[in-house]
Amino acid sequence: MINKCEKIPDEARMPPRFADACVRCANCMAVCPVSRVTPTFPGPKQAGPGAQRFRLPSEASVDDWITLCTGCKLCDTVCPSGVPISRMNLLAKAKYLREQGRKPRDWVLARSDLYGESASRLATVVNPLMKNTVIRKILDSVLEIDARRELPSYERQTFHRWFRARPVAAGGFTQGRVAYFHGCFVDTNETDVGKAVVALLESQGLEVALPPQNCCGLPRLGIGDFRGAREMGARNIASLLPVVRDGVDVVFSSTSCGMMLRHDYSQILGLAGAEELAEHLFDVSEYLLSLYDDKKITPAFLPVKVKAAYFAPCHLRAMNIGLPALELLGLVPGLDVQSVDADCCGLGGLYGFKKENCAVAEAIGGDLAKAVARIKPDIVITDCEGCRMQIRHLTGLKVVHPVQLLRDSLKPLPVTG
Amino acid sequence: MKRYDLIVIGAGLAGLMAARTAVEMGARVLIAGGGMGALTLFGNTIDVLGRIPPGEDIAEGMSGFIDSFPEHPYARTGWEGVEKALDAFQELFPPPYHFSGVTRGNCLLPTGAGTMRPTFLIPATMASGVGMMPASTLVVGFRGFKDFQAETVSLHLRCRGAVIPFPRYRMGGMTAPAIARLMEDHSFVERLGEEIYQRMEGERFIGLPAFFGLREPVAAMKTLEAATGARVFEISILPPSIPGMRIYNRFHERLLQRGTAFLMGTPVSEAIVKDGRCRGIIVKNAPLGAGYQADRFILATGRFLGGGLWAGIERIVEPLFHVPVAQPSRRGEWFKGRFFDPEAHPVSQAGVETAADLRPLNEKGGIFLENLWAAGSILAHHQSIEEKSREGIDIATGYMAARQALAS
Ligand code: SF4
Ligand code: SF4
Repeated sequence: MINKCEKIPDEARMPPRFADACVRCANCMAVCPVSRVTPTFPGPKQAGPGAQRFRLPSEASVDDWITLCTGCKLCDTVCPSGVPISRMNLLAKAKYLREQGRKPRDWVLARSDLYGESASRLATVVNPLMKNTVIRKILDSVLEIDARRELPSYERQTFHRWFRARPVAAGGFTQGRVAYFHGCFVDTNETDVGKAVVALLESQGLEVALPPQNCCGLPRLGIGDFRGAREMGARNIASLLPVVRDGVDVVFSSTSCGMMLRHDYSQILGLAGAEELAEHLFDVSEYLLSLYDDKKITPAFLPVKVKAAYFAPCHLRAMNIGLPALELLGLVPGLDVQSVDADCCGLGGLYGFKKENCAVAEAIGGDLAKAVARIKPDIVITDCEGCRMQIRHLTGLKVVHPVQLLRDSLKPLPVTG
Repeated sequence: MKRYDLIVIGAGLAGLMAARTAVEMGARVLIAGGGMGALTLFGNTIDVLGRIPPGEDIAEGMSGFIDSFPEHPYARTGWEGVEKALDAFQELFPPPYHFSGVTRGNCLLPTGAGTMRPTFLIPATMASGVGMMPASTLVVGFRGFKDFQAETVSLHLRCRGAVIPFPRYRMGGMTAPAIARLMEDHSFVERLGEEIYQRMEGERFIGLPAFFGLREPVAAMKTLEAATGARVFEISILPPSIPGMRIYNRFHERLLQRGTAFLMGTPVSEAIVKDGRCRGIIVKNAPLGAGYQADRFILATGRFLGGGLWAGIERIVEPLFHVPVAQPSRRGEWFKGRFFDPEAHPVSQAGVETAADLRPLNEKGGIFLENLWAAGSILAHHQSIEEKSREGIDIATGYMAARQALAS
């Protein structure tokens, strides 16, 4: 299973001095969701800077626990010395997986973009199959995709088809154009989030464009497939760069895709043009909030009598932009929204679907579910599709993206012409 | 650009206290921390001035201390300032997990190094450890839990020690945060209590490593007390400090509720200064930088560990604003001859000098920037580690800096 094409020794790209910057304050140990639930993962201090001192590109990896790191980046957000802990782990994981060989399952999960479109077309066939216990048992034993975990179902019409098919918007866009990067999940599994983004942006006088786009590549990066991730990244940059050079900003609604596009394309993958693109990429709530702060828009929301729990996804926190969605939600009258006191949902993208990680993901998620239960909310709001899946799975509550609630509380547009 | 009433730079205890004080006064606040601060490094109890002998009234001790060290941060706040700030801190921790002083002075608490250490305010989970009586105390450690060596601790404290396996999880390698999580499971704590009970030889006090959970540590303590019939207390351990995390979490939770924005992870990379005022800060998260504006700024970035001060080859500098740093005149004088000199090394007194209102001074002794205040261990003329004054300085100057800033 070793990918023979992968020639660039990525682990060699990590300057060793980063390990020495660690002052052993153990802040990272205080927040790592994985070492908190299992003693089999030694935690970021040892997995990152501790082990890094002994890792040599020429020697075989010995840290078999490295695959337990979910890549949540919470450790990075608390380190006072700027040690790129999660990046060290990612590179060590890539090297380990390259040596050990990846499982077929890893490729299947990481390349969902290749079959997502077809699965959508065949949604009526695929969805029941994915719920079929016999099939799930086969997936579980052959591919080691944990049967306890519900697989997301596909929607019949993808978001981008819906967008193309819808009647052309009326015009009167006073705030100019903005492009939308929707990501795979919105396209094939959660199209309503995309529709809400479009409705919300248009309601504020922004014309929405949908440039051609691919999977951001994060799932591939997650299994250490740098080559595959770079390929995806290069394609997206080729498509988005001309857009931003035209003076159009790009918003994303998935914090994980956004993190990847904005930071990992340049910082981990070293892709040309990534830094220029990053300057014009915004989280959709961040974008709207900044227009609001600059008094360019004044969204009018109808009162919503709902008690909501808001959960800030790890990758939103790693972007270090505060909690723009929570601030926007604060503009909705009557909405009682409380922040969930938990660190991570534990799903880690595809991590939790893998059989060997399922228990860890469930334990981390269980703590989150308890924190949600303490709030006793009617609904849960969170910006990341992984978190939404996990929270639905663990609480049975309705879980939405902030834009969905915001759209639902918009005053109906005045009827024109 | 976003605009705030106050931007606090640094998310340690001083910065959190400043933010909390400002928020209580109705301000719109942003905290820009380059990481989580040092609360998980220390933060077990609240030291005010450990060098005042237990039994002595702290107010009297402090006034004598301030007279002898007129440049010390406490000379800026005065004892009344410290007292008010401590009250505000204590308000954040209503019972059951409250902080209190045992008398009007310092008390002695056992530590994970096996010493009895003076401190001022202690959390409810440590109260029974005050003035520990060795003859009636059992110290319990756990197999495979390296951050607390019960044998050594009990040897030094001259009490009995026991090392037991964790119930249910009999393997080693558990970290303090992992155990703290288990301690939130009532049945686990009950089992633990039974295991301890079986090893008791009539002791009336039991000391355990400080990992009684993050959310409801007093409930865990009560469960253990019910199972053992003894008074149970936590003893500080190596970082990450669970009691420190409790303090951080409480501030974080309350500040979020009040709409305070947190920027963590990447430090402030640049301050924008014009016409004697700070206009804004840039927070860089490669490849991007984001700007934030405010009317007032508080510098609470700590000393060397938190990156508040940088030691260059010859000089110590404050890297963000380039505030002048009071320091020994040559590097040769940074350290005293013997490394473990009981008098602190001169380098550990280095820091930012301020006016009476905590605004940093320029070389000529004037105000450095109209709208910049400093708080916490970055201030000059204290030896917080040796004096055992770390938390007291953070709390008192954080509180005062915020009040001064908002009064302007
Ligand atoms: S990235 Fe997340 S799971 Fe991995 S070491 Fe850091 S905190 Fe732990
Ligand atoms: S937070 Fe950073 S400096 Fe502290 S122990 Fe972890 S890696 Fe080291």
